Amino acid sequence: MTGFAQGLLSALLRDAHLMAPQLFLVIVATLMLWPGDLFFNRNEKHKWAPITLVILAVTAILVARVPDGEGFSRMFRMDGLTRGFQMLCVLATAGTVLLSVKLLDSLKQQTVEYYALILFSLAGMLFLSGASDLISVYFSIELMAICIYILVAYLRDRATSVEAGMKYFLLGAFSSGILVYGISLLYGAAGGVTTNLADLNQALALAPATSSLLVYAGVLMVLVGMAFKVAAVPFHMWSPDAYEGAPTPITAFMATAPKAAALAAFLRVFGSGLHGVSSDWVLPLSYIAGASMILGNVAAVKQESMKRLLAYSSIAHVGYMLLGVLSGDPRAGAQAVWLYMLIYIVMNTGAFAVVIYLQGKGEGERIEDFKGLGRKHPVLAFAMMIFLLSLAGIPPLVGFFGKFYLFKLAIEQGFVTLTVLALLTSAVSAYYYLGVVKEMYFKEPEGEAAPMGAGPAFIVTLACALVLVGTAFGPWLLDWAATISWI
Amino acid sequence: MFTANTTLMLVATFLPLLGALVLLLVPKDQRRVFEVGSLLVMIASLLLSLPFWFGYDRASDAVQWAGAWTWIPALGVKFSVGMDGISLLLWLLTTFIGPIAIACSFSSIGERHKEYYLWMLVLQTAMLGVFITQDMFLFYLFWEVMLVPMYFLIGIWGGPQKLYAAIKLFLYTLAGSVLMLVALLAIYFLQHQTTGSYDFSLASFQAMAPVIAQQSKTYQTLMALAFFIGFAIKVPMFPFHTWLPDAHVQAPTAGSVILAAILLKMGTYGFVRFLLPIMPGATKDLMPWFIGLSLIGIIYGALVAMIQKDMKKLVAYSSVSHLGLCMLGVFALNPYGIKGGLFQMINHGISTSGLFLAVGIVYERRHTRMIADFGGLSKSMPVYATIFMIMTLSSIGLPLLNGFIGEAVILMGAFQAFPWAAVVATTGIILGAAYMLWMFQRVMFGPISAVNEQMSDLNLREVLYFAPLVAAALWIGLYPQPILDVMDAPVRKLVEQVTPGFHAAQSLAARQAAAARLGMRGMAAPAVHAAVPAGHEVPAAPAQDAPAHGGGH
Repeated sequence: MTGFAQGLLSALLRDAHLMAPQLFLVIVATLMLWPGDLFFNRNEKHKWAPITLVILAVTAILVARVPDGEGFSRMFRMDGLTRGFQMLCVLATAGTVLLSVKLLDSLKQQTVEYYALILFSLAGMLFLSGASDLISVYFSIELMAICIYILVAYLRDRATSVEAGMKYFLLGAFSSGILVYGISLLYGAAGGVTTNLADLNQALALAPATSSLLVYAGVLMVLVGMAFKVAAVPFHMWSPDAYEGAPTPITAFMATAPKAAALAAFLRVFGSGLHGVSSDWVLPLSYIAGASMILGNVAAVKQESMKRLLAYSSIAHVGYMLLGVLSGDPRAGAQAVWLYMLIYIVMNTGAFAVVIYLQGKGEGERIEDFKGLGRKHPVLAFAMMIFLLSLAGIPPLVGFFGKFYLFKLAIEQGFVTLTVLALLTSAVSAYYYLGVVKEMYFKEPEGEAAPMGAGPAFIVTLACALVLVGTAFGPWLLDWAATISWI
Repeated sequence: MFTANTTLMLVATFLPLLGALVLLLVPKDQRRVFEVGSLLVMIASLLLSLPFWFGYDRASDAVQWAGAWTWIPALGVKFSVGMDGISLLLWLLTTFIGPIAIACSFSSIGERHKEYYLWMLVLQTAMLGVFITQDMFLFYLFWEVMLVPMYFLIGIWGGPQKLYAAIKLFLYTLAGSVLMLVALLAIYFLQHQTTGSYDFSLASFQAMAPVIAQQSKTYQTLMALAFFIGFAIKVPMFPFHTWLPDAHVQAPTAGSVILAAILLKMGTYGFVRFLLPIMPGATKDLMPWFIGLSLIGIIYGALVAMIQKDMKKLVAYSSVSHLGLCMLGVFALNPYGIKGGLFQMINHGISTSGLFLAVGIVYERRHTRMIADFGGLSKSMPVYATIFMIMTLSSIGLPLLNGFIGEAVILMGAFQAFPWAAVVATTGIILGAAYMLWMFQRVMFGPISAVNEQMSDLNLREVLYFAPLVAAALWIGLYPQPILDVMDAPVRKLVEQVTPGFHAAQSLAARQAAAARLGMRGMAAPAVHAAVPAGHEVPAAPAQDAPAHGGGH
């Protein structure tokens, strides 16, 4: 018995370095809650934001430094894919923290729990990016999601926030149930010996023909569970409400970081574990992708709330990114998805920064609130226009480059109909993005401009510069994307 | 890595953008600075572009002043520029229209001057960029960038329905260009499969023509349709034209001028540059449809123009008709037709800009464009009436003015290829004369009302911006040869790409005709049979063979 415990401990210690960033995050966040919080009184809680940013910077360095490897009974892998998507999650989280400070100040809602929950959730995402076993996929999803349920309901004196959290939690729990059920079916179909993705791929290939229905059901259920996590149609119902009710920085967070991590898992589960049975999932996933593009873009047209508009647009963007998951060449698919996600995080965080600026003035929730922004605050309006046009994929902005690279891959892999659909729906998306531009530039302003907080101003400036000139640095972007590999 | 001339070409192209960046620093209440500054930038760009007209080697069909700069090697994207005669003409047309469009805005733009002139300058660079690029990725970039400034120009400074018109223009064109993007990507991959490398250069796309010709009929047809719809929306050809009247009518005068003179030419340029050389086979298969749509455009545009009460709308629909004629020429696929089509693009740029400017003049003075509100203007505005007359006559193709040459050459080409189509097109030209002259008569002659008597004639600035257009109309009308010379070699190359062996067959046919005249029947007869089944145009061949060509293949 002691021999087993010792063996386990030494195995854990041997592999611990693979998880250095996550362990660091979990330990630091726990220390933040206690005893860290005792050092700041009620009015000083906003100081947690810069501390969180430092923690994130250290995490980023750790992520970059961890060597490739596999450990914890092959439950976790550190490779190009993991590292790339972990970086995206850290980046998106840093953006969220920068956006949070001013809004939480004005709401008098600064607490250490807010930042600690974000860090715990990030730890879940870092696990998820490298999870190479269905079981570790499942528990990292839960760690990530449970923290976000709480964050969505963070403004507990607001009915919308609590309702959003409740809705997200109930549907999230339900979908996790489906995911687990799918995992158990796959486990059984593969002979009940493994949940490791690489082994599963081989085991499923050897599975007897009689269990094909079992495999099919398992694959579909895993697909449904994962599609729920990335908010793909028809499992997107929670997302507009959760987006609208959540505090806006958390909306920005939900639209970027967890999606990046969930897509990493999507790529790994379907690209390696279920790659052999791709005939079972390519068709349903194609429908999910196509439906996400259509519904996301069409439903966004009618929205009057800016947050709902961005929620539907993120559904559509997930639809585009699923084209990369569909790719028969998982490595090229992962690169295209990573590149798209990187660009999406930059422009989406920029857009949310502008929304948060307007919210500081008690507006920004509605598209009407953007009226005349071009006159009141020309620089900000220009930046917002750049973000929106980039989201719509208008060249030469970097959003076009991401789309281009993704659609190029999709055509190469033979998904011509879906690509045509993607491009046509992105033309539709120009309609509602330009609707906001129209409010900003073609309508007369009301009221005066307010000064901007340092965090959003920094993000807006940086993101706008990146989006404007990003395409010129295409070669560098592609070099980075080329490091995303796991096979 | 670029030669001095290539650098000069890039400077002329990007000068407006640089000017915009400099003007960005000027505070926004300095209206005069923006007006004069942007005018000077446009004139500088025009002056820089002029040497290219003289330096162009007319004997060569190669891309001249070519330069390339590696950009994204992994995707085969290069910053690759250069011009042949076809691009050169349109590029020069753009630098020529630029200062005019700025000069006509001084009095008509009443608010938000800074933004207006900045967008105009950005638009100018985007348009110039389209014509110099030799890389499909870069081409698509410039092609799309153009939309954004145009959207703002119409959306902010347009008429009452400006928001609707602006978004309609944007979405229509965007929908067309994304289809084009799919086709571009598909060819790009086909190329990767055959050659093993990625290359976005225009030359490599054109070199794909034989490979595309071996693909399945469905593939070819879909590719050709994707290109066709993308360009046809821009031209615009019937039935994709519905954005045009809205955009033209709502746009400020300078916006209409640029739309008519340059933006519509992007579509025809796209056909000539991409669809014809890359997919000649599929184009020929779809030719009856293309010709049919061109003809419907000619007649329908003319008929709708006839009943318009709004002068600007009338001119807008006349564009649909005239561009239909350009397309008919291009689709004739023989040297006369293509040259005529290109030539008419230049003419339409000159005469329709002139007409839009003329409508803008009375609109600024009276704030109405309804034909019924005017009458007898020739009494109060004699100079204006004269210029309007010249532009009207140029538009309807009176000999000695530019329009005549273009129409004549197009009809020659069309008659060789599709005699019945040329006949129908002639009806459109007659209708064109009818609606233009009728409008002129109603506006300029007849009794004059008290309000219209008060209207002041053109001032010096207005005369100055009409003067280059009138001069160009007269110069091209009297001496069109230099322009035809510039496009001669590239068109020859294009025809050869579309129909390999065309010129050889033609010269053979000419020799046969000569032989036949000499009475050497035995020598002439078998060769005619050898030439006709190959599907080439043989001018000497009996006319009844030609329709078979149109519907055949």
